[in-house]
Amino acid sequence: MNEKSFEAKLARVSAPAPDPEARLRAKRAALEEFARVHAANQAAEKASEAVSKGLWDALRLFRDDSSHGSTSMAWFVRRNLFAGVASACVVGLGIAMVWPIFSRYGEEPVFATVQATIEADIGPPQESVALSEPPPRALSAPPARLDERAELAASRASGEVQLRKEAEKAARSERVQTNIEPKDGYASAAPQQEGAEEIVVTGVRAKLQASMDMKRQSTAVVDAIMAEDIGALPDANVAQSLQRIPGTTISSNNALALPAPESELASEAGDKFQHFEVNPLRRVADEPVSTFSVDVDTASYSFARRMLNEGRLPQKDAVRVEEMVNYFDYAWPAARSAEVPFEPTVVVSESPWGKGKRLVHIGVKGYEIQRNEAPDANLVLLLDVSGSMDSPDKLPLAVSSMELLLGSLKPTDTVAIVVYAGAAGTVLEPTPVREKEKILGALRNLTPGGSTAGAEGIERAYQLAAANFRKGGVNRILLATDGDFNVGIDDTEQLKGYIERQREKGIFLSVLGFGQGNYRDELAQALAQNGNGVAVYIDTLNEARKVLVQEATSSLFTIAQDVKLQVEFNPATVAEYRLVGYETRALRREDFNNDAIDAGDVGSGHTVTAIYEITPVGSQARLVDEARYSQNRRAASRGSRDEYGFLKIRYKLPGESKSRLLERPIPLASSSTRPELMREVTFSTSVAGFGQLLRGGKFTGPLSYEDVIRQAQSATGEDRFGYRAEFVQLVRKAQAVQRK
Amino acid sequence: MDEALIRRAQGGDATSFAELLDLHYDTIYRFAWKWCGHAANAEDIAQLASMKLATSLTQFRFQAAFTSWLYRLVISCAQDWQRSQQRHDHDELPDEEPMTESSRPEDGIYLAQVLAQLAKLGEGMKETALLVHAEGMSHAEAGAILGVSESTISWRVHTIRKHMGQPQARASLAYE
Repeated sequence: MNEKSFEAKLARVSAPAPDPEARLRAKRAALEEFARVHAANQAAEKASEAVSKGLWDALRLFRDDSSHGSTSMAWFVRRNLFAGVASACVVGLGIAMVWPIFSRYGEEPVFATVQATIEADIGPPQESVALSEPPPRALSAPPARLDERAELAASRASGEVQLRKEAEKAARSERVQTNIEPKDGYASAAPQQEGAEEIVVTGVRAKLQASMDMKRQSTAVVDAIMAEDIGALPDANVAQSLQRIPGTTISSNNALALPAPESELASEAGDKFQHFEVNPLRRVADEPVSTFSVDVDTASYSFARRMLNEGRLPQKDAVRVEEMVNYFDYAWPAARSAEVPFEPTVVVSESPWGKGKRLVHIGVKGYEIQRNEAPDANLVLLLDVSGSMDSPDKLPLAVSSMELLLGSLKPTDTVAIVVYAGAAGTVLEPTPVREKEKILGALRNLTPGGSTAGAEGIERAYQLAAANFRKGGVNRILLATDGDFNVGIDDTEQLKGYIERQREKGIFLSVLGFGQGNYRDELAQALAQNGNGVAVYIDTLNEARKVLVQEATSSLFTIAQDVKLQVEFNPATVAEYRLVGYETRALRREDFNNDAIDAGDVGSGHTVTAIYEITPVGSQARLVDEARYSQNRRAASRGSRDEYGFLKIRYKLPGESKSRLLERPIPLASSSTRPELMREVTFSTSVAGFGQLLRGGKFTGPLSYEDVIRQAQSATGEDRFGYRAEFVQLVRKAQAVQRK
Repeated sequence: MDEALIRRAQGGDATSFAELLDLHYDTIYRFAWKWCGHAANAEDIAQLASMKLATSLTQFRFQAAFTSWLYRLVISCAQDWQRSQQRHDHDELPDEEPMTESSRPEDGIYLAQVLAQLAKLGEGMKETALLVHAEGMSHAEAGAILGVSESTISWRVHTIRKHMGQPQARASLAYE
């Protein structure tokens, strides 16, 4: 826990924005230096030394060792004055925040405090400065104790005329800044009104000081958070800030579902992703067979979306192209019965990523179980309530998500709740969904934090699931976490093994990921795969709705297990091929027929799409040259000339241990070119193109974000929930971020 | 795009250099801030680094990413700065408490504790922790910047983790 908290905290430390004044100073000094160096290059070296001495040299904080300025100058130019002055004159803030504290026993203390609090609550401190320009009179009367330091600094400066000017300028530019966005700190200087004496301590410093004073002066045991802190702390509202004071408890009985605000404080630094290389181009002559497991996870798309919404590009390893493609629901023809749960659709089209190449889409839509024929569900929610879940986009969002899930269950289904990492143990015994209030009450009482008690979480969860086992039904554990898998079994391999053994008993596990900064995608994926479940990443309540309500049946009810795909390409027609995505799902050729090898599961109504880019024989687009000595062998291939290849799918029906086989040839031209089908092909192609661009665009040729947007826009179709429109927005954001 | 800009600046074009500095000053300053946890000191370091950038930009050979090279430069400036502080300024330090104008008050306080601890662990530890944890770099990238092998970084990260797990390293909230 400790190491984790150290790393996560370090990752979350965010540096303040640089002071524009200091920035300008640095820039001038550097430009001076730059001019000097380049002058030196051109002119004779001796002469250049003299040229370099300019006005800005005098203001520079640091000199070369060779130039000896007055030491007292250097002393003054340093910290005290600059720190004081440069951060000074945030007068409005200083007065608005500090005044109430010092007039605590004065005339209008209550009003003033409330005002300050509200200001801080409304927006970031800087904005409140701009809002409340101080009355000039107040400038001259800051509380005595606080301006001591500033006066000291000012009196030191009083002898130095030039420094004083500098200070005044700084003060002035600082004042300008409170009104308008400064382009240049020295531009549009206002007429001088006050000297360098009125230096005001900045808000944060004053706040910490003030809250310390309050504690010092009080006769009772007091802890205090000042208004500015309330604004600055990463809390959604004042109540949550107050909760930071030890011993304060704030309870809420009718909690409304909090939306998940984007937290700008967190960083992706602590999130862990498995590293993988993009699938290479393969020569059919060398390796005609491609084998992989299906992947119905969508976590990669939601994670990338979150990053892009925050104005950053996701890490390359966070982008798994197949998960982005499979995030969307495609209208591939559905299967007709639960017995043969797939109807594979194969579509061949031109590739937008390279002239002379073609795309082969393999689309599968799983059989859709109707609500009324859905099997009974026995769900155990295993929730992480460690301190790290204490963020609006973590535990509160998890709780809101679970509430949504309840709505999509049948009244006879049961739900139990187990928590770990905070207070371990069973929060709710298996309870039928018809007693909804009881379940909701238990959920809403969960609070993050507390001591790390016995972490038997996962075993307890499996015990409960086993005790309430529904034969022929769905027995599943939903693990909600922000990446802390401290569930009671420390060793990752052991944990995987445990989950795998439980899977044999018929109890499955899905992972719902929340929050960022500490998210361990790699482990979430691994656990879900071992537990025959899905790994999803929930960044917003809307995503929770998609995963837990709309796709409840597919997330919960498996219709086929261990689904593997194998494509054999025809060397007579295909020269090269490349599988787009599925890097982390690759299987060996011999694994395909081995029923002991685990693979991905498909839930009710899930669509899975795989895209191959192929280079037909004779195309100019070939990247690999013909091998000189294996010519004969190739010519001898017997493949028919009207097929690109042969598709095989292996799957097990739920509960069965022997796999079944589906086979389809891949024709040179698609048999069906219905416009709806081609629209789906276009859209999935655009998503795949986007994913590849985010990963660096090794194989996408001249494709640009513009092209992706155009393709996607031409293929949004009905888009009932706006997911495809959102995708277009996301591409625009990526484009903007990349341009920056 | 960046490369063309750098090449122009290397050729002596002051406007390009100013543009380059504008682009990267934030990175420099923020890293300097994380390095020392103190706004005014960070400004000093950032200014030093900006000047160093001016003098040594011509030495950048496009063999590594520009930002990696920049990090190396900031780190060396920060180290120089610290040495000069130790040499000259013993009498000036009492107000050195790391009060910062951080957007979050607890950041500065927590950071100061961590930095002090990391400094005790030995040379290179602080830089390693900052690059890997605060800047989110891979071990290989951090190794390239610090001029050591990837495995050295991994070892350092491990050592840091071992030491920082101790209770006194944990952050206490700002209001104590």
